[in-house]
Amino acid sequence: MQTDTVFFESFSRKSTAIRFIVAMMIFFVLTSIFGCRNPAESSAEVSSKDGIRSGGEVIVGITQEPSLFDPHTVVAAGDEEILFNIFEGLVKCTSDGQFVPALATDYTISEDATTYIFNIRTGVKFHNGDTLTPEDVVFSLKRASGLLTGTALKPDLAGIKDVRISGENEVTVEFISPDAEMIPFFTTAIIPESVSDIGSTPIGTGPFVFLEYRVGESVVLGKNNAYWQEGLPYLDKVTFKITAGMDAAFLELQSGSIDIFPYLTADKAEQIKDRYQILSGNTNMVQVLALNNAAEPFNNPLVRQAVNYAIDRQDLSNLIMEGQSTLLTTGMSPAMGDYYDATVDGTITYNPDKAKALLEEAGYPDGFRSTIKVPSNYQIHVDTAIVLADQLARVGIMVDIVSVDWATWLSDVYQGRNYDSTVIALTSEYTPRDVLSRYVSTSEGNFINYFNSDFDSIYSQIQSEISLDERIALYKQLQQLLVSDYASVYLQDPKNIVAVKNEIKGYLVYPIYVQDMSTVYFAE
Amino acid sequence: MGYIAKKIIQLILTLMLVSIITFAAFWVVPGDPARIILGPNATAEQVDSLSEELGLDRPISERYLQWLGSALTLNLGQSLSFKTPVNELIAQKLPVTIALSVISLMLTMAVSFPLAMIAARRPGKLTDHVVSVVTHSFFAVPPFVLSIFLTLIFGIGLKWFQVGVFIPHDRDFWGFIGCMIMPSIAIALPKIAMALKFIRSSILSEKEKDYVRTAKSHGLSDADVMRKHILPNALVPVITVFAIISADILGGSLIVEQVFGLPGIGRLLLQGISSRDFPLTEGIIIYLAGMIAIVYFVADILHSLIDPRIRLK
Repeated sequence: MQTDTVFFESFSRKSTAIRFIVAMMIFFVLTSIFGCRNPAESSAEVSSKDGIRSGGEVIVGITQEPSLFDPHTVVAAGDEEILFNIFEGLVKCTSDGQFVPALATDYTISEDATTYIFNIRTGVKFHNGDTLTPEDVVFSLKRASGLLTGTALKPDLAGIKDVRISGENEVTVEFISPDAEMIPFFTTAIIPESVSDIGSTPIGTGPFVFLEYRVGESVVLGKNNAYWQEGLPYLDKVTFKITAGMDAAFLELQSGSIDIFPYLTADKAEQIKDRYQILSGNTNMVQVLALNNAAEPFNNPLVRQAVNYAIDRQDLSNLIMEGQSTLLTTGMSPAMGDYYDATVDGTITYNPDKAKALLEEAGYPDGFRSTIKVPSNYQIHVDTAIVLADQLARVGIMVDIVSVDWATWLSDVYQGRNYDSTVIALTSEYTPRDVLSRYVSTSEGNFINYFNSDFDSIYSQIQSEISLDERIALYKQLQQLLVSDYASVYLQDPKNIVAVKNEIKGYLVYPIYVQDMSTVYFAE
Repeated sequence: MGYIAKKIIQLILTLMLVSIITFAAFWVVPGDPARIILGPNATAEQVDSLSEELGLDRPISERYLQWLGSALTLNLGQSLSFKTPVNELIAQKLPVTIALSVISLMLTMAVSFPLAMIAARRPGKLTDHVVSVVTHSFFAVPPFVLSIFLTLIFGIGLKWFQVGVFIPHDRDFWGFIGCMIMPSIAIALPKIAMALKFIRSSILSEKEKDYVRTAKSHGLSDADVMRKHILPNALVPVITVFAIISADILGGSLIVEQVFGLPGIGRLLLQGISSRDFPLTEGIIIYLAGMIAIVYFVADILHSLIDPRIRLK
């Protein structure tokens, strides 16, 4: 006992080294308690009007590192969701999927659908203070369509023959061949001609100004005080915080460090609903069990038909999305409105007996073995594959799930088309053409190797068809072909579930992959 | 040839080997960086033009040799996905990883030495057992699991810190250090058990030696014997262990960064691999390998300083 006391005394009294250690441990405990707090939290200066507080800042959680800030070369959805706040086109997509005039005040399309005439809005300022001119519009459209350099940065605009100023604040766009469906593509960003490197100095006309990008941390946007839409935006600052993936993001949501987080899963949303409002909306995404139409055994239409009947979509939706999804039969989501062919609904229903009979007819009475290659970065697709494998096993199809990373998926499955089946969500611009173009036999996006010459010929008719009703009828025929050919197994349009902090209002869920911050505000 | 020169040549050879292994991995694994940047909806034409812009139209072996050439002049090339020099990216992210490693190492030392001395004081008795059992239970838990527990308990439960908040060091240095404490504890806890075990057994084996009895017979108190004689001698083998622990800590910090959402080298490395960013990944791996080599080098020097019998050979 005696020796012990001496020993301990030597700790506290004699040894400075040990005193230093003790002091350091205390310091660590103290800093860990008071250290990591966000200093900016209470700094919001706000003014109030009609229950809307102007000002404040919001942190939006994102899971993808942005890669490009040039609005004409950007293709990745993760980049577009940010750029939507910085750049605007002649028209803009609204949260209910309409295309409304933005930097144009109005437009007319010629009778033969080869000429589009836009009246340019006056008094709009770029973020660098310059006034928007028709020359900027001509420059931007020429740059995006390839008239400046020869390569179209936006391939959808490659059909433009000429862009010119045709009057005071009037710009005329002429197409090589008739095309009545180009309006959605005039969301193409209008950028100032005077800025030489738009990718490193993103200057647009949008509600927010680009302030800063820190690799692996965040993209920060500030309020555009000179925004042309009166009274918008409300927020002073928006930070898109790049989280280390879904799991890390969820921990941050639970602790309240993130204000808005889109693309949440239903079960996770349930866990945080006392602190967040849970909003949801259609995404215009088509989640599909894609079957490689060129590979054994899915080159046999009977096998594809059997698989279609073996899948219980409602069960899948309940398990994966807690029922928060729209079930699909064909390659288009009902979110496309008039263009969607509702007559296909319910034409394929869960029927395992029929599936077994079809397999027998196809020459597989005992089923077969196959693989699903699934991109591991999308938890929803991995989970879906597990449910599908279980459902398919019930009709004798034994499935091995091969989980690959996104890079491998892109090169093996999407580009190499070396797979049996895969689970993926097909995203597209908000136009029916973009949704269905991938099934044209020569399309690069036709990774399921679908081939039907009728489909190809109907598709080529659409572009020059001027009557909207006729075009809609043709689009519906295309959707019916995908069903009757059992091109793949169309599963569901998963709802976009967004968590928004209770005190934040005005957030709109879009049917396209964007985060519109201009309407977001703090409630009184 | 001098000792230092020999060490440097050894270091360069090690780094070359590491870079070749990384290159081989990139050679085998599928994935096209341009396609990853642009996503599935891009056309082949868009992908080709970006590939050309990034210089990806040349074979990877050629790109590797070119990279190696510039790496020898300490230029690690340009990141494909960020279009920024790799050196610059590493320099931006290094403070997080360095701070994590240094604080965890300090924590490990600060806790393991006193505990080891307590445990070694009366081996086999209650204090010894309690210390062993507690530290070993932490030893059994991997750092990323500990991170999640710490986040749940102290971040979400007790709200001692805000989860996911990161304060850059150039904005508020002490705030930055504050953000590093919890992650550092997660890294340090398992290492403390490891260090403790070595220090304890090292002290115990020294205590058995004749010079301890001699010192005591000269009338020195137990505490003085411990401080002036046993500890310095016990330290020699412990330094090697700490070199190993430091390398481990560096590796652990890469993983723990992910859970705590800290933008450090680990995040950057994952980003580099998943976007098949060859120069970025090569650069970071070389950097980490280099750091570990330097830690071992420093351990060698410390050895010779503490024990003059060990000469730098």
